[in-house]
Amino acid sequence: MFHKPRNAQVSRVSRRRFLELGGYGATMLGTGSLAVGLNSTIMSSRVQAASSDEAKWKQYAGSKLTFLSENTPPSFAIRDNIKAFYDLTGIEVEILTDDLPVVQQKAGIDLRSGKSDYVLNYIQDKPIGAPFADFYVDLSKMFGDETLPQDVDGYGDDAWFDNFLSACGRFYSEDKIIALPYDAAIAVTFYRQDLFEKYSKDFEAEYGYRLEYNENSTWKNVLDFATFFKKLKEGGADVPYGYAQHQGSFAWTTQLDIQRMMFAHGRWTDFNMDDKIGSKEPGPTNWGDEQSVLMLEKFKALADVSHPDNLANGTLELNTVYQSGNIAMQVQYHEFAASVEDEKTSVAAGGKTAYAPCPKGEASWILNGGPAVNGTNCGIGGIGINANAPEDVQRAAYLFAIWSTSKNIQYDVLKGLGGTPTRKSVLDIPEVQAAKSRPSAMPNALTFDAVYNFGIKDPNFVLGPKITEANEYHSLIASETQRMLSGEMSPADTAASLKDQIDGLNGV
Amino acid sequence: MTDVSSLSGSSRDVASQLFRARAHSVEVEARPRAEITHKPRKFNPPMPKYYYYYLMAPAIAILAFISLYPFFWLIIMSLQDVDIGGGEWIGLKNYTKLFTDARFIDGWILLAQYSIMCLGLQVGLGVTLAVVVNSSKYEKYLVTALLMPMMMAPAVAGLLWLFLYNGTFGWYHWVLQSAGILDSASILASADTAMYAIVLVDVWQWTPLITIIALAGLKRVPRDQLEANMVDGASPMRNFFAIILPNLYPVLLIAVLLRFMDNFRFIDSILVLTGGGPGSATKILPVYLFEVAFKFFKLGRGAAIALTLLIVTILLGKLLVRVFEKPQGGKG
Repeated sequence: MFHKPRNAQVSRVSRRRFLELGGYGATMLGTGSLAVGLNSTIMSSRVQAASSDEAKWKQYAGSKLTFLSENTPPSFAIRDNIKAFYDLTGIEVEILTDDLPVVQQKAGIDLRSGKSDYVLNYIQDKPIGAPFADFYVDLSKMFGDETLPQDVDGYGDDAWFDNFLSACGRFYSEDKIIALPYDAAIAVTFYRQDLFEKYSKDFEAEYGYRLEYNENSTWKNVLDFATFFKKLKEGGADVPYGYAQHQGSFAWTTQLDIQRMMFAHGRWTDFNMDDKIGSKEPGPTNWGDEQSVLMLEKFKALADVSHPDNLANGTLELNTVYQSGNIAMQVQYHEFAASVEDEKTSVAAGGKTAYAPCPKGEASWILNGGPAVNGTNCGIGGIGINANAPEDVQRAAYLFAIWSTSKNIQYDVLKGLGGTPTRKSVLDIPEVQAAKSRPSAMPNALTFDAVYNFGIKDPNFVLGPKITEANEYHSLIASETQRMLSGEMSPADTAASLKDQIDGLNGV
Repeated sequence: MTDVSSLSGSSRDVASQLFRARAHSVEVEARPRAEITHKPRKFNPPMPKYYYYYLMAPAIAILAFISLYPFFWLIIMSLQDVDIGGGEWIGLKNYTKLFTDARFIDGWILLAQYSIMCLGLQVGLGVTLAVVVNSSKYEKYLVTALLMPMMMAPAVAGLLWLFLYNGTFGWYHWVLQSAGILDSASILASADTAMYAIVLVDVWQWTPLITIIALAGLKRVPRDQLEANMVDGASPMRNFFAIILPNLYPVLLIAVLLRFMDNFRFIDSILVLTGGGPGSATKILPVYLFEVAFKFFKLGRGAAIALTLLIVTILLGKLLVRVFEKPQGGKG
């Protein structure tokens, strides 16, 4: 009879009913998250060999993939530019980034438990590739597949810089390729040419040669430079230390630090095997031989005259020491040139720093009869696909792998965030050629001649052992070397201890 | 008793109304007490035992799934050479290998050193701070300030101290160097000092927990005992050792047990600060366990280490309880 206000007509939801609805909602959300959030989803419309390139790129439109990567510049730049990939393919890619040890643990658990929550993986050669190589897809089967788009530059060894494809892609077999080179960190010498020029006469008066650094400079010269600067500093002069090592933080950068000096002298390696392919049964180690003992003695001598924080400085901290003007020289990865050349954060910027290959071996320090070379090592990060994923997911992931390693994307990353290209064709771009000289719009390019045209070429290139026990091996090298540098053990005892433990590790 | 029949008319009605209750009451009182033929119904009658088991079953099942199942799986894994994908039965080999593993033995020694230093400093400083705070008129503000380090995630605390210790721009490094405590190397760069650095971080972060617990204990120290002791001429120091400390034993037991167990499992800040280095100077057993299980993916060996750690934690926990219970037991 009377008009009822609208509110009054709404039936009340009881508290019990409210809780029931909440419970249903939470269950549905949880199930949905598990189904959608943790796994890649795939939508497929297969194409034929004769289909257009556009159709081949779009064949998995509507799919979703997850890429687990280290927090390196390419991943940030690609994440910023991910819409371009979506526009090209219709595939949504979530890029998760973290520190390399975390990436290694997450990827390891995912791979070894038979799951594929992370379909695309950043495969750093030794820490991730060596222990988990068997869990990745052989990409060579997709090269040339006419139902998939292909990169015009191809995927053979010639498409990449020397040794890159082997470093991150080949493990224990020549035939299988598990990753495409995605980014690279190559060791190169950064030195303060302003300080070298300033103190050249004083140095020459004491050592009989000029304070200069070039590709013929040896590790003995580096020892002289470091000794000279330390003496000046202890005499009260306002100078930095001469040199510093990477002995803190990541075990594999600690291992790389000593390895390039060992390799420079007679191309000494840990095992008698081809490092570029690696071996699951590496046999007895060479640690403990007279060359290794001598090298440890020289390494310790260099540490004693280097920056005193050697044992606390990881790669990043070491670069901070250099940027803050506390050392005159460092062997550092070439991706750090961009930060060193940043005038806002670095006192070594503005043309004060020069870049040259890693130091050469000193002939008088070689006991094994091998040649003296400029031992140069690296970490090559590849992009690979989890073999636990279904075939269509693998094919969709392949689209991202080839897109993210293409010439144009690598050039964009180099321009944008200071990346480190892996494709040779990037160096052919006129802007990149121009950036190799000062003033440079892409400071990393200042290192390219020393790195790409010299350091990574044979006979200077050294990768380090690819063995299934790579991570424990790195840990052993790091802790025993650090104990020696702390004065806990002599070089001879350290070499003997390493021999004992590494052979035990490999079941020799 | 009022006789309403002697009243008339409306007065009688009013009186009837007024005294009805009373009259009724008299009737009730006069009635013989009724015999109770049945037991009154209880609100919560005792149920058979199985009923409670039914009620607890879901919780027990969930607890078993998330706690007991992994525990038994851990034991099984420790007897296998196992990775996540599967394993091979090797009996007690993982355990026998531990006795020849120098890193395992070093890990125990370092863990003992680390725990003793942390616990000793935290209990000493924590109780002292609690006494100071308890007698301060700014107690509320001091307690709030003390809580701050505890609110921080251990990994974040590690990062904070990593910057403070940094040899290039670290403020504490500058202070320690200016005071002549450090020479040129930073505190984390020397195997001789790195252990003290990680102990300091733990002490900074967790001493407030001991303080808060001890403060709660101080509130229940009987004032009459304190006053009686003071009347007898006892010094404040004597008061502390004779009255306050014995009364604090029960709460300190809880605090020490908590921190002791935490020291045996917290590795976040150590991983951030030193990663176990330099060399193996700060590679206490839990750090080594983490490396073995999640860096080397030797899950069988990791399980064996974890079980030895668990057994020792339980045994030492029992020992601690006995040590703390003794003074209480003596007083009956």
